[in-house]
Amino acid sequence: MKKFTWLLCLVVLASLLLAACGGGAQSHLEKIKQAGVIKVGTSADYPPFEYVDESGNKTGFDIELMEEIAKRMGVKVEWVDMPFDSLIAGVQEGKIDCSISAFNYTEERDKVVDFSEPYFTAEDAFLVADTFTGNITKPEDVAQYKVGVQSGTTQDDWLTNVLQLSEQNLFRYDRADQAALDLKSGRIDVMMADAIPAKALAQKIGGLKIVYTGVLSSGPMNIVLPEGDTELAKAINDILKQLQQEGFIDQLAQKYFTE
Amino acid sequence: MSETPYILQAKNLTKIYGENVIFKDICLDVHRGETIVIIGPSGTGKSTLLRCLNLLTPVNNGQIFLEGQEITAPSVDADQVRQKIGMVFQNFLLFNHLTALGNVMIGLTKVKKMPPDQARQKALHELERVGLADRANHYPAQLSGGQQQRVAIARALAMDPLVMLFDEPTSALDPELIGEVLGVMEQLAHEHMTMLVVTHEMGFAREVADRIIFMEKGRIVEQGSPEDLFERPQHPRTREFLGKISELYGKKEKK
Amino acid sequence: MGREFTLPIFAIGWQRMLNQFFSYILQGTSVTVAVTLIALPFGLILGLLLALLYNYGGFWVSRLAAVYSLVMRGVPPIALLFILYFLLSGRLVNLSPFWAGSISLGIISSAYQMEILRGALQAVGEGQMTAARAIGMSRLQAIRYIIVPQAIRLAIPPWSNEASIVLKDSSLVYALGVPEILRRAQQLSATTQQPFLAFGAAALIYFVLVFLVNRGLDLLAEKTKLPTSMA
Repeated sequence: MKKFTWLLCLVVLASLLLAACGGGAQSHLEKIKQAGVIKVGTSADYPPFEYVDESGNKTGFDIELMEEIAKRMGVKVEWVDMPFDSLIAGVQEGKIDCSISAFNYTEERDKVVDFSEPYFTAEDAFLVADTFTGNITKPEDVAQYKVGVQSGTTQDDWLTNVLQLSEQNLFRYDRADQAALDLKSGRIDVMMADAIPAKALAQKIGGLKIVYTGVLSSGPMNIVLPEGDTELAKAINDILKQLQQEGFIDQLAQKYFTE
Repeated sequence: MSETPYILQAKNLTKIYGENVIFKDICLDVHRGETIVIIGPSGTGKSTLLRCLNLLTPVNNGQIFLEGQEITAPSVDADQVRQKIGMVFQNFLLFNHLTALGNVMIGLTKVKKMPPDQARQKALHELERVGLADRANHYPAQLSGGQQQRVAIARALAMDPLVMLFDEPTSALDPELIGEVLGVMEQLAHEHMTMLVVTHEMGFAREVADRIIFMEKGRIVEQGSPEDLFERPQHPRTREFLGKISELYGKKEKK
Repeated sequence: MGREFTLPIFAIGWQRMLNQFFSYILQGTSVTVAVTLIALPFGLILGLLLALLYNYGGFWVSRLAAVYSLVMRGVPPIALLFILYFLLSGRLVNLSPFWAGSISLGIISSAYQMEILRGALQAVGEGQMTAARAIGMSRLQAIRYIIVPQAIRLAIPPWSNEASIVLKDSSLVYALGVPEILRRAQQLSATTQQPFLAFGAAALIYFVLVFLVNRGLDLLAEKTKLPTSMA
């Protein structure tokens, strides 16, 4: 039995050494194409980007976008659902080929993995009634008005923590359309929301207009790629560019971000 | 078979635990069919001697021969030897998870690799020998101490041993249960089973033994026929010991 | 981006929703049960081997087994899961997340099961070994036919406890993306913003599973119990 233990130690050591100096002849992209499958990690608990529908299938903005990217690469997606915290490790250790899960770029993450070009930037909008007489030219201007927002959103977070709006001027609503109705009736002066649903709401309810759009509460989103895998990055970035030009991404945003 | 008249022979056996000399230079010749009772004060190495004889405990020095073959030689398979030397313990040591029948059978099926049917037949026969055929399906916890010890004897007998060693087989028993165990042993002696018995039962020693060995402080002080030893002990220590014993067990000795 | 998002599918009424919750989470039950059914026997075999080495292996082997137990009981299960899956798998052997998770939990459990069995083996007593050797059994035979069958009986009650722990710890494989009960509850909680219902359903399923395991092992203990009364 002693012998066996030593053997095990040796095997572990040897394999770690092998792993340290090992390397394949075939590139990552070639392997994916040969297999006909790209393994994509996602954390399917973040609607509307990635979540499970009634029948347990993964769906959402990121999911549909990645399916289209894979289709254009000529491969199929094999979805690997992981908790968000495991995804970076998964890409780093090659358990998945890449990951799409509403990732924002951060310097910390950039040290261990690479990022694609941004595929979507969530813009925020300030919505007012047509009768609004105030002046909003920069985001900080809203601080002097009564502002409505959907509670628990990134906009709520931005108003509370970044702008530090006083509590008596901040009105939180369960649903965005409730806020829009109050805006029209004059109970609040300004409403902050995601730009795409805000546009849709303004059209639907009428008598509302957008006075400001910009990236405030969240940044651009990127696909997470293995560190130094320029070939795969280029392939994905090229397709992203096409999709942007064709308006595919805008259509997707329309589908998922307007209620 | 060899030409030696002795079935079991010990030459200059010495056992030392650390600084303690348990026994030293013990020589013992056991004839085929002989019943030897070993008596002596507690802690004189009688039990250890039995354990050494069937190789449960290694000796520090000396040789043991079974039918003329040296079993203390390094090349000897001790497990093989133990099959041929039966042992009965003070606290029975039946296998708790097996029935009486299972206890007797397991050595036959697992050690002797006997087919189960044949082993069952033999085991039942051995239980019959000790008068417990009707308790075959009882677990140890369902048997009295005397019954457990008789099953233990049957378990040892099932292996068809050349010699049976008894290590104070009745010391842990209630007085009323001692008789049934001694009865089985007496019967074995009449069947000319070779037996080495460590016991304080002087009545049994006197009635059944062919030879009595008196041990004290790791040495054989005196040995001889029951008559010689009990009536005409040569050594003052033997006299003293027998005197104390008869004081203790006096009334029972008279029968 | 907005976090509040209600799927129209789930806005149909709480009864229908509860139904869907259970049917979706229940699909994870097979994974939970499978992970447990791999980790527990794996831990039992390894634990038994280690307990035997500890008790009968001699000084150094015994020490090695003790160190193994100490280390594996000290390592957080999730850390071992990550080491086995992210670091070793693919280099040593190719393990799917499911197998890496199951084996990690089995390894952790083996240390606890070793402790249970070590105690049980000791409780059987030296005398049984002596008696077995006296009828000519080898050490191995004595362990196999005499010591282990008795030790296993003694180990069932504490083992039942360990079985519940492994069953609940099996949820950790979610960290490797294996869709078991807890991960599914998390997904539902996120999609529907009904954490109480989602995790409540998961808790209920775990409770039923643990109850069944404990009841089953109680019955086993009852069945293998040796009769003690004088008949």
